[in-house]
Formats: sequence, structure tokens, C-alpha cells
Amino acid sequence: MDGNDTRMTRGGMVRLAAAAGAALTGGAMLARGDGAVSEAAPSQAQDARLLNVFLLLERLQQRFYAGALERGRLHGGLLAFAGAAERQEAAHVRLLTARLDGDEDPAPEADLAAATSSPEQFGRAAIALEEAALAAYIAHGAALTREAIAAVVPIVSVEARQAAWIRDLAGAHPAPRAADPPRDARDVLDGLQAQGLLR
Amino acid sequence: MSAVTFRDIDRDDALGEAVERLYGCTRAGLLRRAAFGGAAAVLATLARPAASPAAVSDVDVLRFGLRFEQLQATFYTQAEEIGTIGAMPPAERRWAQTLGAHERAHVKIIKEVLGPKAEPAPAFDFGEANETPRAFIRTAVAMEDLTVALLGGVTPGVHDRGLTAALLGLLTVEARHAAWARHIAGADPAPRTEDAPMAIAAVQAAVDKTNFVVERPRMRGRSSPPFTG
Repeated sequence: MDGNDTRMTRGGMVRLAAAAGAALTGGAMLARGDGAVSEAAPSQAQDARLLNVFLLLERLQQRFYAGALERGRLHGGLLAFAGAAERQEAAHVRLLTARLDGDEDPAPEADLAAATSSPEQFGRAAIALEEAALAAYIAHGAALTREAIAAVVPIVSVEARQAAWIRDLAGAHPAPRAADPPRDARDVLDGLQAQGLLR
Repeated sequence: MSAVTFRDIDRDDALGEAVERLYGCTRAGLLRRAAFGGAAAVLATLARPAASPAAVSDVDVLRFGLRFEQLQATFYTQAEEIGTIGAMPPAERRWAQTLGAHERAHVKIIKEVLGPKAEPAPAFDFGEANETPRAFIRTAVAMEDLTVALLGGVTPGVHDRGLTAALLGLLTVEARHAAWARHIAGADPAPRTEDAPMAIAAVQAAVDKTNFVVERPRMRGRSSPPFTG
């Protein structure tokens, strides 16, 4: 390959994706409303489906933090974190809702009372929710149109900051890997249901 | 938690001057007066959208990313070698050692992908910026935030969707680093609702102004590091 060749080998891309923990096909996979996954090229319709997955996760987080603040069991660093995270998730919900422009799905049903019953429960649930959202963004963000990626990337890094922050407060490693792995949206939602964070 | 101003992380005005060159005096002045979170919000409105993707190839992105990761990896490795990290309390030591290990891993990953297209690492001279724990931590905060801005800027413009997915997985780790560094420094780990993206040209200008990249290694003991966070 000469110096002006700006292409990369498929093998090189596979190595990067593998090393970075992002399956090459992960970015091109599409989570459908029925939970099945199929490959598809970026399109406005695909944007709507994927942005609805992200909106569901942001809404869930916003409700969780709002509930925790209302319950009043948090103090010190956890309280400061919950306040900041609630404001940021609310802004992310507004951003995604505006982007969907009327195509948004109904808000998810959730019973988050147990998850906010103590600081320890709160910490565990917050980590689960933040990691779930991150993994879904990594798995499906690359399947959005370029314009939608540009809109979503600035909130993905904020989600990662929140994940590190709550992990640090809860005594978990804030950055346990050199690259974060993707997780299919269906697995993410199933996991949250199994943990009682989503109905 | 003390508020970190843009001036705090940019004492020698490296970033401010870079913005000034790119966007004009009025906007740079606005940045200098703003608290860091506010400044970043202003940056978000100024930053050239990851656009000009047509002019930047994926290899260009990876080459610049490699150079930037080499800068970070060398910063942390040197701090370990000269004992700065060893002099820190255990929690801070774990943080610094983790970030060093991750940045070295990122260098290895990107070099492997670029193969023969990878360029040799330049020489770096960080002056006093990694010689004391205080200077080291403040510089680390600035570098990690800048990495988030860089990846946020380039990722939407990348052509290969596999590379886009991989960069998302690196972006989230760099953002974790930034939040962790800020927490260590007593600053807000997540000061903004959205992180401001920066185009490669703006990041390059900021790096150039630090004088951390040199043609040949200088003798240690420079009096005033330009980018001490």
C-alpha cells in the first residue's frame, strides 16, 4: 500500500473492532421493535427505531434519578451525582424527543421503588442503568445516519462520564477496560427486565 | 467541589489561542471568561461540526489519533518512570496507572490497525507538567477532556461503520478517564449535558501550543510548562 492510499485493510478493521470490543457487524445491526435484529443500511426509518431504543434508556434513567431524589435517601456525593445525572438525562430525553419529532414510542413502564430504597441499592441500579445505556449506544450508534451520529455522540460521552462517576462513588472500578464492549439492545433490555428495572 | 475555569486548565492560553486563531478574538475572549463547563458549551457552538469529513480520510483520523494517544501514553509512562505516580496516595496511583495502561493499549491497537501506514512517534517533552502530582493531575484533566472532544469531533465523520463502532467504544473509555480525573482533581466529573466536539485542526492547534511535541528531546527542568492543566 503506498502512502497516498487512504484505505485500510478489512483485516485491520477487524482487529481494531475486536480489540476495541466492538463487533464489526454490531454497528450495522438494527434492533427492531419486536426485539429481533437485522442488518440494514442507515436510513431515516432506522434512525427512528434506534433513537427510540436510546430514548427508552434515557427516560428510564431520568425517572430513576428523579425517583431517588424524591425519596430522599441520598446524601453527599451520591446526592450530588443523582442531581446532576437527573438534569442531564432530562436534557438527553428532550434532545432525542426533538430529533424523533413525533415518532417517539410511549414511555416505558418501570417500578424503580426497590432500586431507590437505600444508597447501596441506588448505586447498584445506577451502575446497571448507565452501563446498559453505554453498551447499547456502542452497539447501535454506528448504524445511525451520519447526522444522527453527530447528534448522539456528545451525549454518549456524558453517559460514560456518569458511569465512571457513580462507579467511583460506589467503590467499583471507574474504567475497568481499555475499550468498552457493545451489547445488543435486546440483551440490554432483557437484562434490565431481569434486574427488575424495566417491566 | 471547586469550579474549574477554562483559565485553570489553560494557564498558558494554549487552547484559548487556538480558538482565537480559528474563530476570532471575541469568541476566544468569551471562552477565557467562562467557567469551564460554560466554556465548553460555547465551544460546542463554535466547534466545526465533524464535518469536512470529505477532506479527512479514515487513515488521517487514525494517524492523528495515534499521535494523540502516543502523547498521552508517554505522559503517563514518564510520570511513572520519574516517580511522580509513585509519590501519590493509593487511590490516585491506581487512577494514574490505569490511565497509563489504557493509553498504551490504545497506541498498540491503532498501530496494529494502521500497520505500515503508522507513523513513528515524535519526541515529547512535558517539562514540569508531569513532575509533580499537582501539575500531573491538572494536565491529565485537560488532556482527557481534550481527547473526548477530539473523538467526539471525528467519530461522526468516519467513513467506515466498523471504525465508527470501534471509536465509540474508545470514546466512552476516554470519557470515563476524564470523569475519573476530574473527580480526583476535585472538579465536576460531568459538567455538561453534552460534550463539545472539536475538529482535528482545533485539537492539533491546541497540542501545538503546548510545546509538548518536540523534534528532539530537551533537557529536563524547563521552568514553565505551557500546558499544566
